[in-house]
Amino acid sequence: MAFAAVSEKYSGKMREMEVGAGDKKVLVGGQASMPFCSFDGDLGNKPIIAMEVYDVVDPEWPAAVVDPFKDVINDPVAWAKKNVEDYGAKMICLQLLGTDPNGENRDADYAADLTKKVAEAISVPLMVWGSGNVEKDGEVLAKICETCAGMNLLIGPAVEENYKKIAATALGYGHCVVSQSPIDVNMAKQMNILIGNLGLPLEKIIMEPSTGALGYGVEYTYSVMERISLAALSQNDEKMQCPMINDMGKECWKSREVKLTDVEEPAFGPDMEKRGVLWEAMTAIDMLLSGSNLLIMRNPHAVKLTEEIIDELM
Amino acid sequence: MPEPIHQVTFQPDNITVDVYRHGENLLRVAMAAGVHINASCGGNGTCGKCKIIIDKGKVESEHSEKLSDEQWQQGYRLACRTQVIDDLTITIPPESRIDNSALKRKTGGQRHILKARDLNTLVQGLSINPAVFKCYLELPPPTADDNMSDLGRLMREIKKSYKYDRISTDFHLLQRLSQVLRQADWKVTVTLVYNPKGFKLIDLEPGDTSKDNYSIIIDVGTTTVKGQLLNLEECRIAHSNTTDTDSENLCAEDARYNSQVGFGEDVISRIVHSQKKGGLEALQQAVVADINEIIAHLLESAGIRNDQISHLVLAGNTTMTQLLLGIDPKYIREDPYVPTANFFPPVRALEIGINLPDYIHIYTFPLVSSYVGGDIVAGVLGSGIFQRDELTLFIDVGTNGEIVLGNCDWLVCTSCSAGPAFEGGGVKNGMRASQGAIEQVRINPETFEPMVITIGNQKPLGICGSGLIDAAAEFLLTGIIEPNGKFDRTLKTSRVREGDNGWEFVLVSAEQAAEGIGDIVLTEGDIDNLIRTKGAIYAGCRILLESVGLSFNDLDRVIIAGGFGQFINLERAIFIGLLPELSTDKFMFVGNGALLGARLVSFSREMMKDAQRVSDMMTNIELANNMKFMDEYVAALFLPHTDTNAFPGVMKMLEGNN
Repeated sequence: MAFAAVSEKYSGKMREMEVGAGDKKVLVGGQASMPFCSFDGDLGNKPIIAMEVYDVVDPEWPAAVVDPFKDVINDPVAWAKKNVEDYGAKMICLQLLGTDPNGENRDADYAADLTKKVAEAISVPLMVWGSGNVEKDGEVLAKICETCAGMNLLIGPAVEENYKKIAATALGYGHCVVSQSPIDVNMAKQMNILIGNLGLPLEKIIMEPSTGALGYGVEYTYSVMERISLAALSQNDEKMQCPMINDMGKECWKSREVKLTDVEEPAFGPDMEKRGVLWEAMTAIDMLLSGSNLLIMRNPHAVKLTEEIIDELM
Repeated sequence: MPEPIHQVTFQPDNITVDVYRHGENLLRVAMAAGVHINASCGGNGTCGKCKIIIDKGKVESEHSEKLSDEQWQQGYRLACRTQVIDDLTITIPPESRIDNSALKRKTGGQRHILKARDLNTLVQGLSINPAVFKCYLELPPPTADDNMSDLGRLMREIKKSYKYDRISTDFHLLQRLSQVLRQADWKVTVTLVYNPKGFKLIDLEPGDTSKDNYSIIIDVGTTTVKGQLLNLEECRIAHSNTTDTDSENLCAEDARYNSQVGFGEDVISRIVHSQKKGGLEALQQAVVADINEIIAHLLESAGIRNDQISHLVLAGNTTMTQLLLGIDPKYIREDPYVPTANFFPPVRALEIGINLPDYIHIYTFPLVSSYVGGDIVAGVLGSGIFQRDELTLFIDVGTNGEIVLGNCDWLVCTSCSAGPAFEGGGVKNGMRASQGAIEQVRINPETFEPMVITIGNQKPLGICGSGLIDAAAEFLLTGIIEPNGKFDRTLKTSRVREGDNGWEFVLVSAEQAAEGIGDIVLTEGDIDNLIRTKGAIYAGCRILLESVGLSFNDLDRVIIAGGFGQFINLERAIFIGLLPELSTDKFMFVGNGALLGARLVSFSREMMKDAQRVSDMMTNIELANNMKFMDEYVAALFLPHTDTNAFPGVMKMLEGNN
């Protein structure tokens, strides 16, 4: 008798999210099987990598993530263009670190103005990420929603403390929202319910389950994302069928392992760039294997390596 | 059901409701009918907001200074100061009610209020023969021919008159036996105690005191200690077809907070304290002092001397029981969580410092495990689960939530840390269900003006468990809080404000509250505590059912016990996800389960055997090392629940309101 491979049947399907408007539009998610299990069902859209651009760069960054952008690192618009034109980025993530009240405390008008300039300069969709200060993010991201009305940006992260302001303005001006929750399946679902209650369609929500880099809790993120995928696919839980995103670049590049020199830790060897690139690419693969649809990454080599692996797998 | 005595119709809503008690308070009737009348002083007559107009029918009402003479002439009355003595038609004037167009939600929430059940409706075949009982005897004095010893003479007479045989004797009694017999001219009353090994003679009194047979029962809770005084001689449960059984058999009741709270709010912190030098003694003395105060108060209010008491029954969780008896609870807290004993032999009350005569021994309920104690065995006993075929879920909501599942063939149980929110702990203005506690809350969805009723229609002192459930449900229904328990800060009302403890809702302003209380508020922290409490209980239920391969839909009956208040509003409890969404006729509320069981054991020695049987029958399932519990718990930390499919009715109501 011929061998017949067992295949899983899933009752649910992840939603497909549109980011960007007009000819910049890309589709995220939409899979009906676990990652790369094409024998079980439709894999949906290929995972997308959004390349980071910062308004302010932390002086602590290792050379491996400064050198590729040396010429543009103080000009976010040029940096974004370089990412798209030289490194083939399919999406840009503008990180608004400079708005942090505990840092440079740049205001919402500055952020909105910069966002609009970046968005207009690039041929791919734009994602905007706040500094992580919940109050300031609410203010800044709401202003950006208004200024960039109709561009269908991806705005985030919306957390329990500020989701109302962010999601309500995103709804009003036609943007998508990143719903971030503290590394728990149920809390991820609760955030989707809360944001959904405001009237934002679930098609406009992507989940960030809190990301840990390789060596820094990657397994927690992995198992939460895997369980979200299973709840969405096996149990057809519609509140869990939003695609997933990982804000992982910043997690990888602040880890001890990418920053140590071989003088400090001889066992790590002298090639810090290779070490960092692999650290980021490895984290990326872990996220993809647990169901991520969108990754935020920093180093162009790590992006390229990850995209090659994606292409081989699907 | 008793026949309705009067009918009251509320205009302009044209809602008619039956009244079963002559002289019923009109504000309570309105609450029961689901009719909103503004009321912020708890029904004490001081806020003057519950003005209504009597269109038809007679009432008894006092002329409050809040009503002008002109208003009084026009038929205005204060609902909270008005008693229904006739069929009535009432108009609620605009200033007292909600704009009708805004009130689309006809929840009829009051139709399923559960009051504490009478014990005879729950337990089958209860025979009345107290374990501690008295016999009056007239002995023939000794003569030269009949020169049997005093004790032998007593025993002979007991056997002859009452057919009791093989009786052992408390040694201390012998020291005064001969004196008492002679001083009483051989007319005496003996007190006998039944135990499975036979009878024991514990006391001898001159004359006929057989009518003076009282028992004290105590529920030693982690947060609250509650006691009742029972008249064992007159317990006439057979005659309980009158509406209020309890008041017949019960002489008095008293409750106070467990003074051990000063050493920590939960059992774990108490155990930790007991390990310190002198800690165990301090904890024992604290709770013994509470019990002594309760006993003194019970005796005083009933006008009874302490030598008229013949029995003391205690029910408590495992830690409370061990601490009270002075038994080191250390290992209750250490894996694999083992108690010292499942059955504690009777101990003299005096020996642990309880102010009762030396012949009184404490009967302690047998227990199941470290976290399922005698109070639960008492509750299961009292609610009769162990006698029925029906699959029953028993939920006792205390500082620990204990849950029992099963029927007459099998019982499984578990315990989860719920917190003291329903007893008023961890809630800023929380209090026990006693006079002045807000027990019912309705909120006008347009103006957010609350309607509050307190126990005893007193000026509000705080809020008890049932009021908390009501308030949280109303908050959710009117959009004052989000499903995550956070206040909507954009609401146009001054009642939602930022206070010293974060965001809060002013339920009763300081002017309407009892003196010195200040504003009565519910804070976001209070709501968080409530959500954690209800989440732990719901998750515990789900895990327990799952552990035996069942789900909520398999249940025939759900019995709720606990110190919420006088009753629990079922729809509201389901609305916040404390209870599963099941057909409302499956639910039953038994009030304090521990005292219910303790009453039965006082009244019936067969029940003592059953208590032992129940504790042997129960299989404990430990949640402490159950990975799934944490998951279920987090899923339940939402209103009503993250799993919205489990609450279709609630979701429908919420959607209808948005």
